[in-house]
Amino acid sequence: MDRSRGLSAVAVTVILGVTLASGPAVGLVDLTQPRFDPGNIGQGNATVSEVRTPATVQLKQGLETESYYLETPDAGIRVTAIQGRPTVAYKLAIPSMGYSRGTTHFLGPDDTGWVSLSLARDTLPGDRVSASSYEGTLSVTLRYNGTERVLSERPVTVEVVE
Amino acid sequence: MSLTTREGWQATRERASTLRATAVRILLGGQPGLVVFLGTLVFAGLSWRVGVFITDTYTLANAFASLSEGGFAVEGAVYGDSLETPGMGVRDGRYYGRNYGQLVVSLPALWLLEASTMVADPGLVFAAGWSLLVVALGREAGRLVERPALGTSAGAVCGLVGFLGNAAVARPLADRMLALAAMQLTALVVTALAAATLYRLLARIHGDRVGLVAAAVMVVATPVGFWASVPKRHAFTIALVLSVWYAFYRSRSQSTAETGSALSPLGFRALAYGLVGLTTWLHAGEAFGLFVALVVVDLPTAPSNDRRSLAVVAAVFALSLVPFLLTNAAVSGDPLRPPRMLEGFSEVGTSGEFGGADPASSTGADGLVKSLTELALPPAFVGPVHAGIDRWSVLMSPFFRGTLRVVENPEAVYRTVVRGGYIPGTAPENNYETTDLTVLEAGPLVAAVVAIGVSTLRRGVRGFRTGRPLSASVRAALDRWRTSSGTATDVLVLLTAVSVFLLYVQKLPTHAQVTARYLLVFYPAAVYGIVRSWPLRRALTGHGRTALWAWSGGVLLGAQLFVVVVAAGSLGLGEAFQVHALAGLSVALVLALFAATGPFTDSFDRLTALFAGLAGALGTDFLLLSGLVYFQYGQYVLPALGEFARLLPSV
Repeated sequence: MDRSRGLSAVAVTVILGVTLASGPAVGLVDLTQPRFDPGNIGQGNATVSEVRTPATVQLKQGLETESYYLETPDAGIRVTAIQGRPTVAYKLAIPSMGYSRGTTHFLGPDDTGWVSLSLARDTLPGDRVSASSYEGTLSVTLRYNGTERVLSERPVTVEVVE
Repeated sequence: MSLTTREGWQATRERASTLRATAVRILLGGQPGLVVFLGTLVFAGLSWRVGVFITDTYTLANAFASLSEGGFAVEGAVYGDSLETPGMGVRDGRYYGRNYGQLVVSLPALWLLEASTMVADPGLVFAAGWSLLVVALGREAGRLVERPALGTSAGAVCGLVGFLGNAAVARPLADRMLALAAMQLTALVVTALAAATLYRLLARIHGDRVGLVAAAVMVVATPVGFWASVPKRHAFTIALVLSVWYAFYRSRSQSTAETGSALSPLGFRALAYGLVGLTTWLHAGEAFGLFVALVVVDLPTAPSNDRRSLAVVAAVFALSLVPFLLTNAAVSGDPLRPPRMLEGFSEVGTSGEFGGADPASSTGADGLVKSLTELALPPAFVGPVHAGIDRWSVLMSPFFRGTLRVVENPEAVYRTVVRGGYIPGTAPENNYETTDLTVLEAGPLVAAVVAIGVSTLRRGVRGFRTGRPLSASVRAALDRWRTSSGTATDVLVLLTAVSVFLLYVQKLPTHAQVTARYLLVFYPAAVYGIVRSWPLRRALTGHGRTALWAWSGGVLLGAQLFVVVVAAGSLGLGEAFQVHALAGLSVALVLALFAATGPFTDSFDRLTALFAGLAGALGTDFLLLSGLVYFQYGQYVLPALGEFARLLPSV
């Protein structure tokens, strides 16, 4: 009984002690440092030697629903040099549906070699999908220091899968 | 240390521990209630993210931030970037929130958080608090099962490891998030109180063990756990409803000889009405539904309706309405006009119609009554009488409309309670995702209540066969309500569920329900019903081990299976929800079949227990998956869980 009480006292002391020591009043340590510094996002530059984008995108009818899921496979960029934290936008546009959507990725100093870019899945109502396939465009755009450079812009077939 | 100071210290300690024991007994119903309370906080803390889950939380959170500065009007958008959010009301160009009872009750939590973040890092204070709760839970649970050393050690080790793990990956939390976090903390505490109240109610009827299990089941295996950390009214509604049931039970059950009770039976009866009165401060419509259910059961079954009793009850009820009336006067300028009746922006959503009746046309009876009064009354009386009829019909019309909806549009009921799936009317507001589960899909355990219907029917048929006249049967039933506090409470629980259902069914199915949240009260009612049903009690107490094993297996294997299915099938959010829905419905169906045999034979008791365990496990799986996989918003108060969630596949 006494040993367990001792253990309990140790646990409470450590929990309170560490919390107070890292708190604003004492400030011995800072345990809650931000993961990344958002200050310089978009600043810098990158050299990209190659871009791969998928040839087809699927517009798939979902399970137990009349909606369709738009699933775009990942794209890849080959980064040969990087400075700072530029961003890359991976975007799908389907002009005949009046649709466009992109996902922005933050690059960091470690991102050299092949970097894969995902595009968030989207949901479309069933009544927007009437054809069996659509023509779309996949683009990858590098943004840095307030400017942007289109790395790749290619046509893509959007296949409707029932 | 001299002898006298040591004795003085000893005496102070004893006094403090007596005080603590008294507080625990009055608030939580003693040691087991404390374990339920702590356990609920620890469990719900696991999925707590400081953030906005549903857009109308912006309304409440901004109203709360303004309230903490001392005003009812919402002065600025601390959260989000506009004040024109669903549920915000406007009067004279100023914005007002709603659910002010919930907001006022959340103020102490904000003060507590503000005080503790003066000395502690906001990014660490929740992890520290949660870890201390784990230490306390270990100690109290150890005492409860008479293994105090083991419990204390386990709690200390888990608390310490949990704290260090979270401290290692902690991230900063912005100070402006504290108001939102305070609302969530209050919802968590209120859910824990609700669980402790369910324990108290059922422990009084069927013993501590049954009460403990029932409370745990409600939190861990039904969507009640889902809404614990979402700062909406639902946790508060559940807690108030359960407290009304408990107070009502105590108002009938207690013999005057019972000692150590804080209130007399009449006191508890008044308390039940007082709690209903306080519910108006949260949501006047729900309070009215609760009030009707309480009055209908209370007046005919009360031990005495003498003038003194009614005066006490009425006085307490009137007093409990004061915060509601004052808030209304301040917000809308009319004490009888709650903030929800202000003109707002919330009218974006429409319920999913299945060709139902136009709600406006279904109150035609009032017109007839009004014409009759015009014929029968002198002109001077017509005005006030009509005003009275208007108020009355405004109050009662939801029940009429709800009943009409059930009769005219049973599909809407089916789509709300049994199978949801894709509902064209609600799809646009749900971003075309099938993310609304029905009552049974989200909490398949509810299916077991068919046993209650079957056993009631069986008794009715038997009564009919013995040739007893119907009037005698009715009189016997009424006598039973009057003499048995348990039976009277059963009727109250049933009527509460029916009344809440009728109030909401005209709006259902609607979007952003996730787990049929308007009907959340069904879950505590179902758990109560399962415990109160004798065939189910026989099956579950006789084969408790089977149920527990089925539940454990269904959680340990089932949760992983769901993760694998979501990842392997690369499922979207709506698709993942439908996997839960179909799995839940299948188990619910089998459970219902076995449970229905209970009143006739005990041969299927083990299977009933097995499927009840599985149904509970599916409820738990949904809580775990939606806590870690399906919804990513805000920042986990336990940063280690945020890290863990990042390792899991996303939808």
